[in-house]
Amino acid sequence: MENMLSILVFFPAVAGLLGFVVEKESARMYGVTVAAIEFALSLWLWFSFDMSNAGMQFVEMIPLIPDFGITYYLGADGISLFIIIMTTLMTLIGMAGMSETRNVKNMIITLLFLEMTMVGVFVALDAIIFYMFWELSLVPMLYIIGAWGGPLRIYASIKFFLYTFAGSLIMLVGMLFVAYTYHDLTGVWSFAITDWYALVLPVDYQLWLFAAFFIGFAIKVPMFPFHTWIPYAHGQAPTIGSVILAAVLLKMGTYGFVRFSLPMFPDASVMAITPIAVLSLIMIIYTAMIAYAQKDMKQVIAYSSVSHMGIIMLGLFAMNAEGLSGSVFQMLSHGIVSGALFMLVGVIYDRRHTKLMSEFGGLAAVMPKYAVIFGIMLMAAVGLPLTMGFPGEFLVLLGFYKISPIMTILAGTSIILGAVYMLRLFKKSFFGPLNNEENMKLKDLNNRETWSLIPLVAIVIWLGVYPKPVLEPIDNSVKALLVFMDEKAITKEAKDMILVSKSNKGGA
Amino acid sequence: MENLVYVALFAPFVGSLFAALFGMSQRQIFVGVIASGLLAVSFISSLLLAINLYTTGNVIHVTMMDWINAGDISIPFGFVIDQISVTMMTVVTLVSTIVHIYAIGYMDHDKAFNRFFSYLSAFVFSMLILVMSDNFAGLFIGWEGVGVCSWLLVGFWYHKPDQTREENPSISPSWAANEAFIMNRIADLGMLVGIFILYWNTGSLQYDVVFAALPNLDDAVLVTAAIALFIGAMGKSAQFPLHTWLTDAMEGPTPVSALIHAATMVTAGVFLVIRSNPLYGMEAVAGVSFFIACLGTFVAFYAASMALVERDLKRIIAYSTLSQLGYMFAAAGLGAYWIALFHLAAHAFFKALLFLGGGNVMHAMHDELDLFKMGELRKKMRGTFIYMTIASIALAGLPPLAGFWSKDAIIETAFNEHTYVLWFMLVLTAGMTAFYSFRQVFLTFFGEDRHTALGFHPHEMYKFVLAAMSPLAVLAIITGWFMGGYKAFIYQIGEGVQYEMSEHTHHLATYLGLIVIFVAVSGIILAYFKYARTGKNAFKRNEEKEQGFFYKLLINQYYVPKIYEEYITKPYAMISEVFWTKVDLKIVDATVDNIAKFFYVSGDKTRAMQTGNLSNYLNWMAVGAVVLLVIAAISAMLV
Repeated sequence: MENMLSILVFFPAVAGLLGFVVEKESARMYGVTVAAIEFALSLWLWFSFDMSNAGMQFVEMIPLIPDFGITYYLGADGISLFIIIMTTLMTLIGMAGMSETRNVKNMIITLLFLEMTMVGVFVALDAIIFYMFWELSLVPMLYIIGAWGGPLRIYASIKFFLYTFAGSLIMLVGMLFVAYTYHDLTGVWSFAITDWYALVLPVDYQLWLFAAFFIGFAIKVPMFPFHTWIPYAHGQAPTIGSVILAAVLLKMGTYGFVRFSLPMFPDASVMAITPIAVLSLIMIIYTAMIAYAQKDMKQVIAYSSVSHMGIIMLGLFAMNAEGLSGSVFQMLSHGIVSGALFMLVGVIYDRRHTKLMSEFGGLAAVMPKYAVIFGIMLMAAVGLPLTMGFPGEFLVLLGFYKISPIMTILAGTSIILGAVYMLRLFKKSFFGPLNNEENMKLKDLNNRETWSLIPLVAIVIWLGVYPKPVLEPIDNSVKALLVFMDEKAITKEAKDMILVSKSNKGGA
Repeated sequence: MENLVYVALFAPFVGSLFAALFGMSQRQIFVGVIASGLLAVSFISSLLLAINLYTTGNVIHVTMMDWINAGDISIPFGFVIDQISVTMMTVVTLVSTIVHIYAIGYMDHDKAFNRFFSYLSAFVFSMLILVMSDNFAGLFIGWEGVGVCSWLLVGFWYHKPDQTREENPSISPSWAANEAFIMNRIADLGMLVGIFILYWNTGSLQYDVVFAALPNLDDAVLVTAAIALFIGAMGKSAQFPLHTWLTDAMEGPTPVSALIHAATMVTAGVFLVIRSNPLYGMEAVAGVSFFIACLGTFVAFYAASMALVERDLKRIIAYSTLSQLGYMFAAAGLGAYWIALFHLAAHAFFKALLFLGGGNVMHAMHDELDLFKMGELRKKMRGTFIYMTIASIALAGLPPLAGFWSKDAIIETAFNEHTYVLWFMLVLTAGMTAFYSFRQVFLTFFGEDRHTALGFHPHEMYKFVLAAMSPLAVLAIITGWFMGGYKAFIYQIGEGVQYEMSEHTHHLATYLGLIVIFVAVSGIILAYFKYARTGKNAFKRNEEKEQGFFYKLLINQYYVPKIYEEYITKPYAMISEVFWTKVDLKIVDATVDNIAKFFYVSGDKTRAMQTGNLSNYLNWMAVGAVVLLVIAAISAMLV
């Protein structure tokens, strides 16, 4: 299969178009089927993936505007492979577990378009194609929040759109400048990221470009102080919107750092370690504290999500394979765990139409299955060993310890503060006496909810006990990336800081 | 033999899963029976492994599979069965088996019976991972695993509401569970840092590799690693200032207290120090080790002092646990690792017995724990009375029971190391221990009958429960007699754990022992006169005395929980609130909105220019032209 990635990108979109002619009643079934096929395709990608190859695979290249070097150029490596699989998985699970009844058909079509843009971002190897999918992904999400959201949905969706859009425009300027420089140096136009990798830029260029890309990615992650759109977006979005937003859309930001910033600007990246680490620490501690102050369950998860993204950011700049692999693994773990947590909050919202913790208490007695699954996801969120939350967080902190012990200890407070707000949430909602009349007759998880959550529980435990199948390909690509960065770096500081693993010093 | 390792490890896991299958259904006795049976299988396997190790001296090391491999780090699921781990395994599985059987009787009215067994077996599984693992990361799995199981079990009766600290010092089971988990997490961060230091300096987390590399490391590295790991140990073993969770954890069902908060989990910290003896035994970290010994001695005394005035039966036992953990750390800190381990084992037996006896009393008294409401129970609960007396004698450290041998050895070690202050404190604490344990025995089982008037009609526990407790009673008596044999066994491991008294101490050993016995007996006699007599000498509550400064200080646990609440919990909540409402919403977010507003408003305002009136446009054009000219003129002047 030579066009595997193209099929993966465009299948949901084509199916989405066909979706317009599907009967309203069967729209949901149709959507789940399409998402399931898409998920199966992404699994097939994994099975046909050559684990020993750290480079790009399934490459497709069709020149679009040869005069400007714009190419339809796709490929996947160990880093993007699993993010793609997570994307298709979370779309499938989100859709299958969706309780939305208003305009289901439109929702399904929107989600399928969204899936195309998300997969597109993770497989694009041409900056223009990347940018196109990146921006396109805003539209379906804008629609999901704006059409199915809560009372403040218009404000929230416009804030989400304009904020991230403003950031990406600055990134676009950066991209154009890279292309221009490339043209200056080589005499040909190219927007292919792999071509750009070969470009050795002077340090001051690197710094400016790093800053331009940084703004685009940082707003998406979202890094402090660019995070304020997220409480509104999550607060107003319907459950499915929050699931996709937390699980996949935020990862586009961190993925951008891995795909662009690190390999293209190794020296600037090394110089940016301290400022980025400081921002990440603020994210980790400050938003964890804010999460503690929340009264609404969903806002707790929303802020906790920002806090966890801080760990991921820290790992990206650990400059060693332990931290970087951990960070990529943590992206997957965060996607699955926070996605599941948002779904779980959605379950109680569907029943009570409120998410305020003060309304609950003692839920464990009436909804034991719900409490168990919530408990498992909570433990994964606080990074308990043998759940998926642990390897990533552990490796990130381990890796960053090499850079700065003090900062690692500060970041490590995440394991304490995370437990503080999560356990408070659990105690307030699930423990204590069952006082509220309205909660006494609550129904436990129904079949649809149970069966959309069980696979996530299984994955969380499976990859917690045996992360190797996922971690190994990630690690291979990460090691190759570090070797590349080390060779490309021009300043001595950067060469010293970037740590190439012993295990591939001889081989690769 | 390798298969036995897996049987010992996974039998409790299977039990836990089996019980979990019935977790949401009605109470079924066979769930408890099967879980207990699987625990017994695990115990027998551990025992066989111990015997095999004793006879052949072959340490078994198995690697099951890879866990985390990234960069240069490689962490397998590997298990090592050496003298240290096999001791722990045997103790843990033995106590667990008995506690499981006990729980069948104790929890028989609880609706969540099946769920309880699932948690209890999961706890044992985690504990076994903790002690059997061959690397620090594996230890950390168990470390966190027991933390979660403890959270589940302490908060087992989650439906109870929060109370004020005056009504119930532990507030509520779910509160106590969260406190335990969070406080342990604070310590776990220290432990993680220790792991990071060891990894970046030795390139591995396997015990054998790490310990072999230690001599090549800088002193500063060794000291920080030792401190960091000890911070981890402080959390699990509830050493000051991370100790408050342990007494609050008494909110859990009593079998849990017996298993987790006395015999097994809380000893994990001691185990970590013993396991890392190649590190703590080094010249360079002597200061850290001495600090451990001092802190241990302090905690031994500190906890014993609080037990003197406590009226809650379970909390007294919890304080005594805290105090005995202090003894273990004192021994480990002074380098007598094997003595610490021996005391750990002996303590596990008599303390579990004490707790289970306490559980019988609690069962009989319908969950009433106030000693002042008991009295003269020995006639109605003969078996429990005998058990608890045996356990208390062992705890007080009278020969020939287990506690005497192990505790005396620790006190002797303090003398041997010429740390006479520590020695004095430990002897004093031994006296206090004897006093408060017998205060509790006398108040419960002797003196005037205070409970009948309050409407309690206590009855003895089921026969099978008492029978199940008997092995613990036997062990609480005889363990000490095998100290010599155990020494030979543990000495096989090598020089690290070996510890011998000097000639001088050896000569004085008898006198030293007599001093300890004398102090302990005095404590018991004092307790007898105060609490055990009847008639006109009977114990009466002295309300006036309870207003005294020291009494209030002790009953309020030196105000430590209050201080934590006032100076940590509340400020944290307050700052969080400020961060959210004042900083995040009013500054960070408002800035973003204001930028957006600026564009919006300026656009709105300038819209007035678009009048469609040509002469207006001409005016603006003129203004623009003038501005441009001025700029051009200024720049021309500057250049």
